Amino acid sequence: MFLSSAEAIERLVPQGTGLLAVGGMHMHNNPMELVRELVRRRRGVRRLLTSPSASLAADLLIGAGLVDEVATAYIGFEHLGLAPAYRRAAESAAINVVELCEAAIVHGLYAGAGGLPFIALPAGLELSDVSSANPEHFRTLTDPFTGDRVLVAAPLRPNVSLIHAIAADERGNVFFAGAHFTDRLMAMAAKTVIVQVERMAEAGEIAAQPAESVLPGFLVTAVVVAPRGCLPTASHGAYGYDEPGLRAYLKLARTAEGFTEYVQVNGMAPSEVTA
Amino acid sequence: MSTAVEVEYSTGELMAAVMARHLRPGEVAIMGAVSALPQAACRLAQLTSAPGLWFIAGGSGAVNPHLDPLVASSCDERLLDADAVMTLPDVILVEGRGDLIDIFFAGGLQIDAHGNCNLGPIGPWRHPTLRGPGGVGLPFVSRAGRVVIYSMSHDRRTFVEHVDFVSGPGFAAGSVALHGGGPALIVTPLCTMDFDSDTHLARLATLHPGVTLAQVLESTGFAPIVPPKLETTPVPTPDQLAILRGLDPTGLLRGGA
Repeated sequence: MFLSSAEAIERLVPQGTGLLAVGGMHMHNNPMELVRELVRRRRGVRRLLTSPSASLAADLLIGAGLVDEVATAYIGFEHLGLAPAYRRAAESAAINVVELCEAAIVHGLYAGAGGLPFIALPAGLELSDVSSANPEHFRTLTDPFTGDRVLVAAPLRPNVSLIHAIAADERGNVFFAGAHFTDRLMAMAAKTVIVQVERMAEAGEIAAQPAESVLPGFLVTAVVVAPRGCLPTASHGAYGYDEPGLRAYLKLARTAEGFTEYVQVNGMAPSEVTA
Repeated sequence: MSTAVEVEYSTGELMAAVMARHLRPGEVAIMGAVSALPQAACRLAQLTSAPGLWFIAGGSGAVNPHLDPLVASSCDERLLDADAVMTLPDVILVEGRGDLIDIFFAGGLQIDAHGNCNLGPIGPWRHPTLRGPGGVGLPFVSRAGRVVIYSMSHDRRTFVEHVDFVSGPGFAAGSVALHGGGPALIVTPLCTMDFDSDTHLARLATLHPGVTLAQVLESTGFAPIVPPKLETTPVPTPDQLAILRGLDPTGLLRGGA
């Protein structure tokens, strides 16, 4: 249950994983220690699924050339700017973008978690170009109840989900602080779930606040304790985002050479792999 | 009319005051990424002209965050100091109902004359010249009561004849197809626009103090409808500025945010 980040990635994330979901939202609760380990081990994924709004975790995996295809509704850095590696990869057509919206992601994960064959979306969503840009993910059917045309989308069933939380107990029950965004859905829909936490739960801590223990251990494959492991993104309940650290990334990642320098300076070169 | 002493204000503060005046008591508003400006507008409205207004601060799920202080990121943990907190999946679920959200604050790298917004690819979809971040929840604007579009850039790259990709649908498909009221207001650093009820095209409404009609037309990539009489956007009152500065001690609205 408790593994190092090296063990967890080595054992549980096979090369060429079909669908890898990475949690957090914007520059908050990105499971960066697990993501850095993917970069170190050069673990490529066929399709990366982001939360409705992704940031550093997605940009780093894309910049490292580890993603063939990304299914996302947003990759950026809000007020700090656009995502440099995502831009470079998409603008050179080096990756395929499966443009989704937040409803397709969240309802798609519900479908994955609940065994639903597909999801029907509210009328009006067909007016955006999201569905026409991705005919392989969306279809139009006739609503059997009303006879109206209805936009439907595919379920999302990640092979592996990587998420972050504040703490976990010895049985893998996960305890959140602040917002948990779409992380619980990503866990419920996935076959393999790796949870990065700031620390082990203290004795009696979960019992004292059971309402925050919202991901039971039977849904968790492995827990990785990584204190301050979300930096430079925030960890709700522990620390805010490191704005100078994010700005430093954005500055370097403007060029492919700068991106490589960032990877090396931040301990993600293949030579940093430990057993 | 005003006897108040002229007070210096920033463009962000002017825009917040304009957006606040558009909101009505008891309405429910929602906003997404990079939304310090509409959040400040909603809080200002709650404290002045729209008591009982509700607002959901983007991905945080915070309902009526107290903004003590205003923060830059829409998922900042400090937003959870709020009247209530919904989970993000619950927020995204009820956005689909179509009868709960009165005001949807939207934006885009491209905004067109029909109020379509693009936060996705600019240029060819599969090989864009500029890959925007993505539209997150913008397809849901089609189900909101009214859409308020805001942009901190007013230039011909942003305000275009037709967006290259529709993230948030405006009136282009015809108002019949929209399940909500559609775009109602555009607020930029130069002016405000509303939409003509017959043609569903953007129409200049007010020019900000010191801005000329020629300047707006020069900076806009489509030809907005120009009404016979153009008013000047009202400046924020000293009371409004005092509230905004109380929320925003670090000056997010004064640094061009």
